[in-house]
Amino acid sequence: MTKLTAVLEKLGYTQLTSKEISHTFSGAYTSDLLSDVMGNAEEGSLLITIQAHKNSVAVASLIGMPAIILCNGRTPNDDMIEAADQENIAILSTTDSQFVSSYKIAQLLGLM
Amino acid sequence: MRKCIDVHTHSCLSPCASDDMIPAVIAIEALDKGIDILALTDHNSTRNLPAFSQACEIAGITPIFGIETTTIEEIHLLSLFKTLEEAMDFGTWIESLLPPLKNNSRLFGHELVVDVEGEVLEELDLFLYGPADISYDELVLKSLNLGALAIPAHIDRHANSVISNLGFLPPLPYSAVESIAYPPTVDTGPYTVIQSSDAHYAEHIGRRRFFIETEKEGFDALKEALELNAVTMLQS
Repeated sequence: MTKLTAVLEKLGYTQLTSKEISHTFSGAYTSDLLSDVMGNAEEGSLLITIQAHKNSVAVASLIGMPAIILCNGRTPNDDMIEAADQENIAILSTTDSQFVSSYKIAQLLGLM
Repeated sequence: MRKCIDVHTHSCLSPCASDDMIPAVIAIEALDKGIDILALTDHNSTRNLPAFSQACEIAGITPIFGIETTTIEEIHLLSLFKTLEEAMDFGTWIESLLPPLKNNSRLFGHELVVDVEGEVLEELDLFLYGPADISYDELVLKSLNLGALAIPAHIDRHANSVISNLGFLPPLPYSAVESIAYPPTVDTGPYTVIQSSDAHYAEHIGRRRFFIETEKEGFDALKEALELNAVTMLQS
């Protein structure tokens, strides 16, 4: 398991949710189609996406994904942050693309 | 005669809409806002259209029978029908294309089928978030072939719009395109632009709407005005 704080510290990503981050993760899934995420993502994985709205939180919660990384500097609506805090899902922001973010997260996971 | 129109609203059947949005409330609220022609367009289901039809009749509003389908590209498309029967057949077909998932009402909200008085007839188990197993292009053409109006929804929104998800507006014979902002902030090509409320709460009904000048009634008046691009809107 990898600590989510590592994403903040080593990759310099910004936390958008207000709750303290104590989550860990065991993998990641990169997709911008939420139906694809619902069908294929695994519990404990990060969601790497540009879908900066409340439905991403609902899908992440359904699957048991601890955090969402919003790429390309996408800014979420307030209701997304609220929903994420309620579901205890962390939202992190980066200007990295989905590809670059996936590469960096794979490195953190020791996959490469 | 000038008619005020809102063709994009959600009832308590849509998981994301308020449970207070029973069709009778929608019709009364629309009447209050001066709307003459009103469509109900729930996500991927038409099960509240019978109650909507009755509610509009009581309120003296012209109903248009609609649905907002999520395509495989997760694009939202409005299909608007003249008759309840046509819309119900279409809704049954769309439901058959949805992934067989159960709704989680805690995360997504309730999906309530109600009668005209607001009595809950059924809480739907099938997850209406979609997507239906049909492509955007196919669904546009299928809707038009069935005599419905096909209108890509909120094309200037950053999620679930044809422009956000495909990056461009495929050149298809749309009846119109729906924009949130007016004048539109995206390229709407040669198409007639309309605004509608996308109301999920009663107070939002009619917050965006459009006007036509017509001597005809109901669906035919709307269809002709869209074909002629004889539509006016308020600047937002």
